[in-house]
Amino acid sequence: MSSTKVIEGKQITKHFGRKIALSSLSFIINHGEIVALIGPSGAGKTTLLNTIAGLVPLESGELLIDQKPLPSYRGKQLAKKVGVIRQQFDLIGPLAVIHNVLAGRLADWGLFKSLISLLVPQEKGLAMEALNRVGLAEKAYDITANLSGGEQQRAAMARLLIQNPEIILADEPVASLDPARAEDVMAMLVNLVSEKRQTLIASLHSVEYARKYFTRIIGIKNGAIFFDLPTKEVTDDLLAELYLLKEKA
Amino acid sequence: MKNSALLLPKRFILSVFLIAIFVWSLFSVCWNSGLFHAGGFVTLLQIVKGAIEPDFTPDILANGLKAAWITLAYAVAGMSLAILYAFIVGILASGTLTSTKAAHLTSKIFFRGILGFTRSIHELIWAWLFVAAVGLSPYAAILALAIPYGGILGRIFADMLNDVPEEPILALKAAGASKLQVLVYGHLPLVRADMISYTMYRFECSIRSSAIMSFVGLGGLGYEIQLSLADLKYSQVWTYVYFLIALVLLIDGWSNIVRRGLVEEKRVNGLSIGWLSSFLTVLLIILSWVYVTAGIHFLDLFSDKNIQYGQRFFGGMFGAGNPHPAYLDKDNWASALKLTLETLKMSIMAIGFATMAAFITVLPAARNIANGQLTLKKRWYNWILFGFIRILYIFSRSVPELVWAMMIIFLFKPGLLPGAIALALHNFGILGKLWAEVIEDMDSRPIRNLSSAGASRWQSFYYGILPNVLPRFLTYILYRWEVIMRTTIVVGFVGAGGLGIQFKLSMSYFQYTNITLLLICYMVLVVIADFASESTRKAVK
Repeated sequence: MSSTKVIEGKQITKHFGRKIALSSLSFIINHGEIVALIGPSGAGKTTLLNTIAGLVPLESGELLIDQKPLPSYRGKQLAKKVGVIRQQFDLIGPLAVIHNVLAGRLADWGLFKSLISLLVPQEKGLAMEALNRVGLAEKAYDITANLSGGEQQRAAMARLLIQNPEIILADEPVASLDPARAEDVMAMLVNLVSEKRQTLIASLHSVEYARKYFTRIIGIKNGAIFFDLPTKEVTDDLLAELYLLKEKA
Repeated sequence: MKNSALLLPKRFILSVFLIAIFVWSLFSVCWNSGLFHAGGFVTLLQIVKGAIEPDFTPDILANGLKAAWITLAYAVAGMSLAILYAFIVGILASGTLTSTKAAHLTSKIFFRGILGFTRSIHELIWAWLFVAAVGLSPYAAILALAIPYGGILGRIFADMLNDVPEEPILALKAAGASKLQVLVYGHLPLVRADMISYTMYRFECSIRSSAIMSFVGLGGLGYEIQLSLADLKYSQVWTYVYFLIALVLLIDGWSNIVRRGLVEEKRVNGLSIGWLSSFLTVLLIILSWVYVTAGIHFLDLFSDKNIQYGQRFFGGMFGAGNPHPAYLDKDNWASALKLTLETLKMSIMAIGFATMAAFITVLPAARNIANGQLTLKKRWYNWILFGFIRILYIFSRSVPELVWAMMIIFLFKPGLLPGAIALALHNFGILGKLWAEVIEDMDSRPIRNLSSAGASRWQSFYYGILPNVLPRFLTYILYRWEVIMRTTIVVGFVGAGGLGIQFKLSMSYFQYTNITLLLICYMVLVVIADFASESTRKAVK
């Protein structure tokens, strides 16, 4: 495994009103790592991912993507570096699946090509290949809203395949799926990422999945890093303490 | 529900307050026999007789068909322009294309202001202004229809674009889409279905507007109705009214089919409802424009003569060359404000009457009450009553206020009451239909529980249905009141009192600055109505 830094956070801080969302977080993530973010609800996992994705502006501290500060990237350049997948609300329901997948190419397309594509799908081969990979090829022309939760999440993955970013941020990617679908989607995501030698950071509710699929786990509590360890070194005691309620502490 | 104990009295106080305002408005009418024309009752009988025995001779039918086509063509031409205007300005007003906060706010305020101004003035007034300025031209009617309709559509479009869910939009941005790409791949597909069904609803309304547009001298069903009324040929009047009802029902049916198609959207091979409707729409638009503009060039509108007329008219409105413009005169203001108050009272009376009529009829008009599903009581007369009231509603809402007013003033002497009744006649059908849908959509379980506990129909109405539906009933009352306020000036045209009569007189006597003054008062009323209903709606929530 190469050990080039792809993401480096230096004392990242973020407030929402008076509430501290992130308090002086520092971390380094290397190329090809598969990292799980775990911790109680409201600990700041989503805020951290949104910050790295450039969706939430940085308040103080510094965030380097590929050694360059985050604000130096323009929207389309950043999309080449960082891609995001969330719970199943990422897709445009009334559009056909293939258009949702091809939206991963919007960063490279001009307005004209994007408009034409809504009538006659452009770069169709690419989209079909991605849909094949996630096993949705026969649903390419279905209306996305009619798909099941698991299928929608696989369509979102096909979009990511096409966007082909170096880093993938997954925010609770399987939160609203039943256990069987969740397992299916999780395995597929990790599989695709390691095949393409991409970097994955995923926030998770389930400690079980974190242990099963990820090589490194970062525990976050009250906006701060509680532990940052290889999966093997994460003990049950540490986890219990991470999820411990304040009143009892 | 933490303040549910407070909520009930608040609603109660509000209801009492609204009823008190309605009663106050009733005092502005002198309730005695002087309200009626001497021969009013005989005329009423003749009108009713005409409704039962309309004139279906081939000549009249052919004429009616042609008039219906003209009405449809103007509505389609006007709507196509309105959609164009609403689409562009609506997107700009939603602020989805701006990136900085300051630009976002300015574009929102500026473009929403434009939309607000254009929709605050009724289409018939736009028509009158245009006709007065540039003479009789189809473009005057089309523009007059397109401007206020575009204003309303544009505002709704902007609201819909602002209300789309945030997550998919963020995801598109994260995938590197530009502002325009996000609009095309995100916002527009997300609002498409709602946009189409609302546009279809407005299209139905535009048929009525197009019909009354003919009162300023353009052909169509309204013109034929006016001529027949002037000749006292009531059976012919009803023939044309039936044509209008049929046209409205046709559009209503079409829009229902389209709406259903949007809900059950699936990829169907071959011709789906969507493609068929799109094809029909394009065909209609082309045919309408070809027909309406045949032999008339758009540029003729800007001939030297027309520009001169236009300058004189609009310059006159601003008081050019007039040393004593009416809007700077105290007496003129005093009389205009008195008329404004009268108009306000008329609108309140109108919505009051409409509410009473709808309240009495709405229960049997709900499908789930008619089939006994809601109250668990089946009666043989349920469906008869349901059908009768629904037909009444269709009658009521298909006939424009102005046409009702023209019939009513055969019975009543000019004044506030006939205007209010005409407005109520048109609006009670709309209100009843909307309310019935609210009852049909409500959760039926609690009501059935009451019924099985032995509650009578009226008991379950007061204990089960009313508390559930009242807030939405009130929303619709307020919403219709806004619309009525905009229309009061129109029924005034035919002598039904308020600002409208004065507006018409000023037009006839070329008192341009007085027209400006009346328009100012009218717009103040519209703004007050919007504001009052908005804040009442918020109070109920």
